[in-house]
Amino acid sequence: MTQSSTPESSQPGVGRRALPSFDLKLYGPFLALAALVVLGTLANPVFLSPGNIANVLTRTAFTGIIAIGATFVITAGAIDLSVGSLAALAAGVSIMTMNALSPELGTGVAVVVAGVLVAVLLSVAAGTFNGLLVTKGRIEAFIVTLGTMGIFRSLVTYLADGGTLSLASPIRTTYRPVYYGGLFGISYPIIAFAAVALVGALILYRTRFGRYCAAIGSNEEVARYSSIRVDRIKTLAFALQGLCVGIAVMIYVPRLGSASATTGLLWELEAIAAVIIGGTMLKGGYGRIWGTVVGAVMLALIDNILNLTGAVSVYLNGAIQGTIIIVAVLLQRSGAARR
Amino acid sequence: MAEPILSAQGVSKVFGAVQVLFGIDFELRPGEVHAVVGENGAGKSTFMKILAGYLPATGGTVRVNGREVPSEGPGAREALGIVLIHQEFNLAEDLTVEENVFLGRELRRGPFVDRSAMRARCRAVLDELNCHVNPASRVRDLSVSDKQMVEIAKAISRDVRVLVMDEPTAVLTGAETAVLFRLIRKLKAQGVAVVYISHKLDEVKEISDRVTVLRDGRLIATQPVGELTQDAIAQLMVGRAITDLYPVKAPPPPDAPVLLEVRGLSVLGWVRDASFALRRGEILGFSGLVGAGRTELMEGLLGLRRSTGTVLRNGRPVPIRSLEDATAAGIGYLTEDRKGKGLLLRQGMRQNLTLLALPRFGGVLIDEAKERAALDRAVVDFDIRARDMDVPVGALSGGNQQKLLLAKTMQIEPEILIADEPTRGIDVGTKRQIYHFLHDFARQGKAVILISSEMPEVIGLAHRVVVMRSGVVTGTLEGAAIEEAEIVRYATGLKGMPSHDAVVNA
Amino acid sequence: MKMKLGFAAALLAGIALAPLGASAQQKVRMGVSIPAATHGWAGGLNWHAQQAEKQLEKQYPNLDIRIATAKDAAGQANDLEDLVSVHNIDALVILPFESAPLTDPVREVKNKGKFVTVVDRGLTDPSIQNVYVAGNNPQMGKVSAQYMKQKLNNKGNIVVLRGIPTVIDNQRVDAFMEEIKGTDIKVLGMQYANWNRDDGFKVMQDFLARFPKIDAVWAQDDDIALGVIEAVKQAGREKELFIIGGAGMKDMIKRVMDRDVLVPADVLYPPGMIADAMQITAKHLIEKTPVQKEYVIEATLVTPENASKYYYPDSPF
Repeated sequence: MTQSSTPESSQPGVGRRALPSFDLKLYGPFLALAALVVLGTLANPVFLSPGNIANVLTRTAFTGIIAIGATFVITAGAIDLSVGSLAALAAGVSIMTMNALSPELGTGVAVVVAGVLVAVLLSVAAGTFNGLLVTKGRIEAFIVTLGTMGIFRSLVTYLADGGTLSLASPIRTTYRPVYYGGLFGISYPIIAFAAVALVGALILYRTRFGRYCAAIGSNEEVARYSSIRVDRIKTLAFALQGLCVGIAVMIYVPRLGSASATTGLLWELEAIAAVIIGGTMLKGGYGRIWGTVVGAVMLALIDNILNLTGAVSVYLNGAIQGTIIIVAVLLQRSGAARR
Repeated sequence: MAEPILSAQGVSKVFGAVQVLFGIDFELRPGEVHAVVGENGAGKSTFMKILAGYLPATGGTVRVNGREVPSEGPGAREALGIVLIHQEFNLAEDLTVEENVFLGRELRRGPFVDRSAMRARCRAVLDELNCHVNPASRVRDLSVSDKQMVEIAKAISRDVRVLVMDEPTAVLTGAETAVLFRLIRKLKAQGVAVVYISHKLDEVKEISDRVTVLRDGRLIATQPVGELTQDAIAQLMVGRAITDLYPVKAPPPPDAPVLLEVRGLSVLGWVRDASFALRRGEILGFSGLVGAGRTELMEGLLGLRRSTGTVLRNGRPVPIRSLEDATAAGIGYLTEDRKGKGLLLRQGMRQNLTLLALPRFGGVLIDEAKERAALDRAVVDFDIRARDMDVPVGALSGGNQQKLLLAKTMQIEPEILIADEPTRGIDVGTKRQIYHFLHDFARQGKAVILISSEMPEVIGLAHRVVVMRSGVVTGTLEGAAIEEAEIVRYATGLKGMPSHDAVVNA
Repeated sequence: MKMKLGFAAALLAGIALAPLGASAQQKVRMGVSIPAATHGWAGGLNWHAQQAEKQLEKQYPNLDIRIATAKDAAGQANDLEDLVSVHNIDALVILPFESAPLTDPVREVKNKGKFVTVVDRGLTDPSIQNVYVAGNNPQMGKVSAQYMKQKLNNKGNIVVLRGIPTVIDNQRVDAFMEEIKGTDIKVLGMQYANWNRDDGFKVMQDFLARFPKIDAVWAQDDDIALGVIEAVKQAGREKELFIIGGAGMKDMIKRVMDRDVLVPADVLYPPGMIADAMQITAKHLIEKTPVQKEYVIEATLVTPENASKYYYPDSPF
């Protein structure tokens, strides 16, 4: 054993598995979330009111859904910086399409469905485009998506003449319940978020595609020598990210019924932060969907708590956010290192 | 007797709940070459890391020049002249050779780095090693053996008094090994003490003065090498006599059907017009010097590299454009680079075992129960020893990693196994297991292609041997012709095709 | 719109369309340096600048206007160097990102003998500019506060949504707080909403959860106000409060015009001031008309009575 410092027993380990020990890497994000909930309750009892919780979860949905897509891309060892801009572009094009189609399709469900389809198709196409540039173009994902980030954002600025694209009011009335409505008291965005998370977890943990993403993120060469079609899997991961952006846009548009150059600003960083807070490794190879969900909720909670308390100078909001993020990740990592 | 320069008294080490070293006593004298041998998992590397200060000991003391030294990390020990050359190199890949050699103690003229002086010193050190690497080339572009030389140059350019080498010849050719040994003798004459870890007992016999044998974390013996035969050392290592390292050859009958035939396969820049045939029940050896194009030929055949030529499976041509095609054709590949291309070191055994054959484990969703069953079976079949089943593969010893990699390749149930350096860097006990596995595999009516740079291995196992030189097949040996001198004649160009036909002038 | 989408698609497909520059004749050149259209108000600013460019170049055939947009103060300083050395401008109209960092770069332009018009934010050294077309941020805060005092009868609970932490935001908020001093108007909470609709929505949701009774919201900006309106509607508390935004976005002016009880008034901070500044400068350059040292754009209160005067349905803002 000249290559490793870790010991092994001298007996074949048939059937023996580690006892379920407490793993901070896995449970760290959930602990941090619990701590934040306690903090929020202390700051203002209103925090725990159903209305407030519903508000926070509902508004988490966009970045949360995008972050679930980002979990795949990051697990596969890449990164997508263009998601925020893509959300803005997809929202803008979707709104323009609905406005333009309303003479033919009216202002009912049909036109909304058309708008949603356009948003989703555009997002998937853009994600695939990113993926193809990364794999076939052999350019680093960081550079490709930094480029498309600028392209998408300036396209939406151009389409909106620098201003705001607004959905025609009768269509808005049709579309509005998608954000503000719900089933059994749970809003549709929360339901969509939960559904995307469930499906995402299933894909990442239980399908070949998910396993291949982790393999590629761990070591692309090993993946290649394990007869994995690296380029195809990576492109698919970007396409999946695009699909998530499309779904996020679908529930974003009915909220304010508008899109502008500031729509989705910094969403990419929020999504990446949620993914990393959740325990996924930025360098790839290890992804956690439920961690990502928790990470996204945490980010929204921090904002919410700061708005609910007057105790801290508003000038320090950023500092508090930053500190909580770093502490959350620190707890997790040092816990993992101690094991 | 000279005072020991470095010594350990009752050193023990515990990882978690597992004790890996039990009260090891060790002494190293100036001007001594001291071999440390033991099977994979015996605790050699852990012990070396404790000596070099990379790991703290759980119990016992380490003394340098008779004074006890606390473990303060490798930097402090290096200041005392104790240098460990890792098996995985410790080089900054994107810096040049000279920058690496002087890393952290650059020569300076005023505030500026004195490039010309560094280059000259570096050149001198490399010349001493008979190494013709350009000091200005980037380490990334060097071959593995050159990197090893740079690592050694880096060590001896410092004021080294104790040099710990972990399997230095695993990646070196015979000629390079000779240069290394000449250098070790020179250092020895200067009073430098060398700790030499190796699985190659002939080398141990040749170069070292004393040998220390470890087994299961315990000190078994420290004796002058002259008092021991290679067999005796091997027996001490495994605790029993190894009588049947190689199984008795069982060549296929001459009329055995051809399972695989390659005609005129070329890989641009590496291999030209290679042809060979593999019969049912056969182990076909591939010999040649490092860089002869054996791995590249196989990768070309497997669709991992672009190649031209024809591949026939059971007499019918099959187009193989990717590893997927090769898998479908029943060909499995055991890569020579288990850490870089074979295994995901940060992931568990189950994920690694099934990665290649994942489509066989479930439909839309992966059938984890089936995966676990496969792992349980592989652990028994291949005698894989792990602390627990969820340990990351990187924490396994080299031998166990190799057995896992073999198990991974076997998950696709190939009819033909291409084993590329299947025993690199593993102990003799595991080697024996792998030899017997390959033998049995061929006897079940399948076939093996064995690429190996270890001559005894090819001679001991292969029914026929294809020899390559500079990308060209120079000869195929059979029966009694399979012997070392003859293989070397073909491998070096004394026999076979004239060298000007070669695609690569090495 | 279809054409625009087509163009967008072409860009997506990687086909770059080179913009056609105006042919260089002997002309009077005017450089306009403004922030890029990264939020609603700046979008309006860009639109008005482009409209003015078209209109002025038509009016004065020998006038060549070049608009440079920058993403931050450093980028704007670079733009100034390019406008002077590459485009050889005769006059500069600038709306500085921030006052202090751009004072010296503008001084450089002035020292090269160019005519300088400063818009909205003043430089730290007023002696540099030939003309100052001033937006009046403190007045905007003050007018908003005055309206609130009157509407609330000097008594009530309000929340304040601020913009991005900058001098502009501070001037508005300071003046507002100064004006309500001594009344029984209580500011329950104050948070940054970054002149952004989504942030306005989020912050207001939280304010609504936190405070059971709110009488009025000073959103300070129309983008924020639009987010606030949605949050209030979602909570079903439209009857409880009213909202004052700021800037003069067409959607908001329309609401005032339509006598929306939620939005009884708006305070102008018109992005069109850039067009005024360009007009004044062009006229002076070509017709040599005398100029005043300072023009102050009033922060006018928009009410249902005068709203139609400030409604530009074609502007993107």
